Amino acid sequence: MKWLQRHVRPEQVRELSLLLLIIVAVVFFGSMIDGYYTSRTFNRIVSSVAIITIVAVGQTLVVLTRNIDLSVGSVVGCTAYFVGTLLGRYHDLNPLLAVLTAVALGAALGAINGLLVAWGRIPSIIVTLGTLAIYRGILVDLSGARTVTTDSLPGWLVGLPRLNLMSIGGLDLPALFMLAVAIVLIFHLGTGYLAVGRRFYAIGSNPDAAALIGLPIRRLVFLAFVLSGALAGLAGFVTLARYGNITVESGRGLELAAVAAVVVGGVNIFGGSGTVLGAMLGAIMIGTLEQSLYRLQISEFWRDAILGLLILLAVASDAVILQRLRALWGRADLKIVTEPPAEATVAAGARSP
Amino acid sequence: MTILGRLKSWEGLLLGLLAVIVVMNILRSPYFLGAGNIANLFQLSIEKIIVALIMTLIIINGEIDLSVASIMGLAACVLAWLFQMGASLPIAIVGGLLAGLAAGLFNGFWVAYVGLPSLAVTLAGLIGFRGIARILVEDRAIGGFPVWFNTLGQQGILGPITASILIFAVLFAIVAIVLHGSALGRLVYVIGNNLQAARYSGVRVQSVKMTLFAASGLIAALAGILYAARLGSVRGDMATGFELDIITIVLLGGVSIFGGSGNLAGVGLSILVILNLRNGMGLANITGNTQTSVIGALLIFSVLAPNLAQNLQRRWIGRKT
Amino acid sequence: MTEPALARTKGAEQFGSSSAAASGQSGDRILETRSISKHFDATQALQDISFSLYPGEVHALLGENGAGKSTLIKIITGVLQPDGGEILLAGTPVVIRSAAEAQRLGIAAIYQEPLLFPDLSVAENIFVSHQGRGQVVGWRQMSQDAEAILAQLGVAIDVRSPARGLTLAAQQSVEIAKAISLNVRVLIMDEPTASLSAHEVAQLFGLVRDLRGQGVSILFVSHRIEEVFEIADKVTVFRDGRLISTRLRSETSPQRSISDMVGREMGLLKPRPRAAIGELLLSVRGLGRESVFEEVTFDLHRGEVLGFGGLIGAGRTDIGLALFGIEPATSGTIALDGKEITVRSPREGMDLGIAYVSEDRRQLGLSLPMSITANITLPMLHKYLDRFGLIRRGLETETAEAYRKRLSIRTSSVDLAVAKLSGGNQQKVMLSKWLNTKPSVLILDEPTRGIDVGAKAEVHAIIAELAATGIGIILISSDLPEVLAMSDRVLVMREGRQMAIFSREEATQERVMTAAMGQVSAPIGEVAA
Repeated sequence: MKWLQRHVRPEQVRELSLLLLIIVAVVFFGSMIDGYYTSRTFNRIVSSVAIITIVAVGQTLVVLTRNIDLSVGSVVGCTAYFVGTLLGRYHDLNPLLAVLTAVALGAALGAINGLLVAWGRIPSIIVTLGTLAIYRGILVDLSGARTVTTDSLPGWLVGLPRLNLMSIGGLDLPALFMLAVAIVLIFHLGTGYLAVGRRFYAIGSNPDAAALIGLPIRRLVFLAFVLSGALAGLAGFVTLARYGNITVESGRGLELAAVAAVVVGGVNIFGGSGTVLGAMLGAIMIGTLEQSLYRLQISEFWRDAILGLLILLAVASDAVILQRLRALWGRADLKIVTEPPAEATVAAGARSP
Repeated sequence: MTILGRLKSWEGLLLGLLAVIVVMNILRSPYFLGAGNIANLFQLSIEKIIVALIMTLIIINGEIDLSVASIMGLAACVLAWLFQMGASLPIAIVGGLLAGLAAGLFNGFWVAYVGLPSLAVTLAGLIGFRGIARILVEDRAIGGFPVWFNTLGQQGILGPITASILIFAVLFAIVAIVLHGSALGRLVYVIGNNLQAARYSGVRVQSVKMTLFAASGLIAALAGILYAARLGSVRGDMATGFELDIITIVLLGGVSIFGGSGNLAGVGLSILVILNLRNGMGLANITGNTQTSVIGALLIFSVLAPNLAQNLQRRWIGRKT
Repeated sequence: MTEPALARTKGAEQFGSSSAAASGQSGDRILETRSISKHFDATQALQDISFSLYPGEVHALLGENGAGKSTLIKIITGVLQPDGGEILLAGTPVVIRSAAEAQRLGIAAIYQEPLLFPDLSVAENIFVSHQGRGQVVGWRQMSQDAEAILAQLGVAIDVRSPARGLTLAAQQSVEIAKAISLNVRVLIMDEPTASLSAHEVAQLFGLVRDLRGQGVSILFVSHRIEEVFEIADKVTVFRDGRLISTRLRSETSPQRSISDMVGREMGLLKPRPRAAIGELLLSVRGLGRESVFEEVTFDLHRGEVLGFGGLIGAGRTDIGLALFGIEPATSGTIALDGKEITVRSPREGMDLGIAYVSEDRRQLGLSLPMSITANITLPMLHKYLDRFGLIRRGLETETAEAYRKRLSIRTSSVDLAVAKLSGGNQQKVMLSKWLNTKPSVLILDEPTRGIDVGAKAEVHAIIAELAATGIGIILISSDLPEVLAMSDRVLVMREGRQMAIFSREEATQERVMTAAMGQVSAPIGEVAA
């Protein structure tokens, strides 16, 4: 137990148990579905999690700061449609420029959210619930409900989803998935090793203390929303590449999947703890459920019910179980405190004056 | 008069806005003031404004219920599923209402007794209840209900006034009396203002919260069933995204997102503003999606405006002293 | 300000400088405040404070709650801005706008409850406010540095584990390590020992002495007078927002400091006329709540005012909360009118005829945006309903008007929001609210805090009147003259323990304060068996 306490941190316990849960799920589905353990299943799951993962990384940054970004689905839709139209019109647009356009557009939309939350002092849930509708509305309006079709897109883009970076024993690692993995690595390291990344944790963990030591809380919250928007923009580009056909409905509901991935992945909905890697595990869990339930032919419709339950369990375990643990810790503290009976002190801080 | 003081008469602002919109609508269409059009105005959003009534109580109490639209869908789907399984329609309706009540009790349990934030609980509910609804009807559209059910939702029973509009009117009266006349309403305000002070005064905070979430589930279910009656068929994704409009109506009505303040008169005006705005935009051939983004902008504005006013006022006072 | 006090303040200032020379401190003052004042609304929290801190000294601040110590600390650390006066750091005038700025200037504070980031590791917490460590976190280097600092402090904590699980003592060590890593010149410790065990206190004092040896100046606030005299080089006493005296430890004594602290004139406070005390009402035996207070035993009679003396955090409020059912007791018994009772919720407390008037009007006592009427009737709202369950406004207003008259609440209308009233009138609304529950036991927690002199006298008159009607009153107050003037007996608490019960004759300011600060030399009065 002591060894466990020394070497494994609480959030790592969360991530490990999630990994275990994924394995259990895979074994379960393997026993229910004939021919489940094939490269086809793997490839399906892998290519479906890329988009959720990228969006979930951005969502993680926002949630760490005690906020939430519900507009990401609309941002994904907007960027996918806009860049798709752009590429449909200018076939020889530099691919890199296309990606950058998507990211910049996303970042701009995220900046609007960030401004309203950080300087307008509006709860993020209200702001992003509003921009969820506004961005989608603008998309529908500007597009006139036309769709981007695969045949209007340049060849390199259409071929992108089938581009595999490597293939190990029939298990393909598509470029788009590897892009998601790269994003996860970059942001996992960024939140772990950059001062600015650690400050996201700090302001979510104890806003009062953060204000007291003079952290620029507003700028950090703004930055989190800009990054979330930028990543949603990138996810929009991936959506465009993967599906080719982009309607005004593209990306709808993605915000819920992203929040679910983040919360299931062990990021505390009240900010301050959790990792980008955990969010990716959450996305993989959701992708596994989605693809496997589909194969199971019960009904893919079970996905949402299970997701809702998972979210509730994750939040409840964060709030209730961690609270219990903390209470246990606290009581252990007091035991030490009251050990020498002569000078036993009764926590005078129990009621702060 | 201070800036804040002026904003305190939020209702006055809404009234002015309403007048402008109505005049513009009348100028655009001579039929606007016809009884038929006005009833139609209500009828097109009747389910949302019914749920907005109970949402008003929940937000004044300092909580939020994001799952209402999913509960609407759930209740309708339970009804359709039972009906398809061979139950008679009245029984199916009761089943739908009970499903909504159960969903509300589920939310209330986690919020009131476990102490989880309603934002997180009802977000899970938003996804989960919708999921259950989809499990029940999958991607089918279930229809073929008895004629009286469709009539209930579509045809006027008093001239152009439908049963749904009547139900809304009755509920509006009931909520007004409860909020402004009963002990429960008083406690809703007290808890929303200062939960600790309420607890220190011996108020049973938990049971008040539980009651509200249960009522929210039940009323959302009723609205979902009325929606099914109006559409004549039930799909798994019906009412998706309605929570946005519902919350917007309440906040635009001057109810503080932080709880404790607001009244039903403001929400009533806000309903009229939004209905007329949508209707006017419709008359001007503005699409539903643009309408939704205008509503989204209104939502943000309704919270931003008091904040900005407060900032300005603080700066003003700062300059004076 | 009275003349003698002013003279004494000035004397203290001169004394401070001469003692510096006398004790051979070569250096100049590291920190000096000149005529600092601060007021909140009507209360003068600090008045003309001139105070000096020299390098390498441990300087203790003593005073009752509300004497002004905390306000001074907040001004020095940039949390509050003074209304007047200036702060000099090493002889240079400075304006400290925020805690972050104070840190940059080499001033850090450690509070009773450390302000750490629970999700960040210990090492990160130590270095989080360092601007100069670059944009990339070198975990290995940071952990080594953190370990080095903690080793220097003689503390063994795993620097890689999150701060969440640490004991309070360990958290305080982290705060000290943070201060050391910032090379602070002035370290302020605000009741750092309040939650520590004897062993941990000894360890902390070792650290303090080491820091002093390194030339760090330490401003030490504590309510444990024996600790102050163990660690401090100088002792400064505050009372009512004024600096009363600064003396070398060798030249003063705990008793002398206490008399400086309590030397407040009784002034307008006339002792409450003696009233007939009735039969036994409430009987509390061995009451306790785990790790908050323990073994509290007393009797309360009809018509009696039992004062609860002691300092904030001594557990007096917690006893009130336990009797009323907000935070129920976990041990001991309560008997009301000879019948044993349990109180598990405020509702049960009210039904038994117990009322608790909170110390915190704004957060716990009143619903500020709501009307006077709504506040007064809130606990008894079920008595104001007609047969349809609707509130009978007329009856409500009648009640409110009756109390407005009875307690002379000054307002244009009882429909006014409570927020618009003065503190004294808010207090009367709160009293009305609980009198309306027709209590037999009334617990008043700091009923005159933050209200003006006139209102205070009125509240005292109300208390006397209520006692005369046979209500048993528990009066929790940090205002010592008030407790002494109003109470028939005074129970003194210190750190969750009952120290003594003094009869009216035995209770003097010195005795009560001595017991509250834990000096054993206090004459122990009768302790109810």
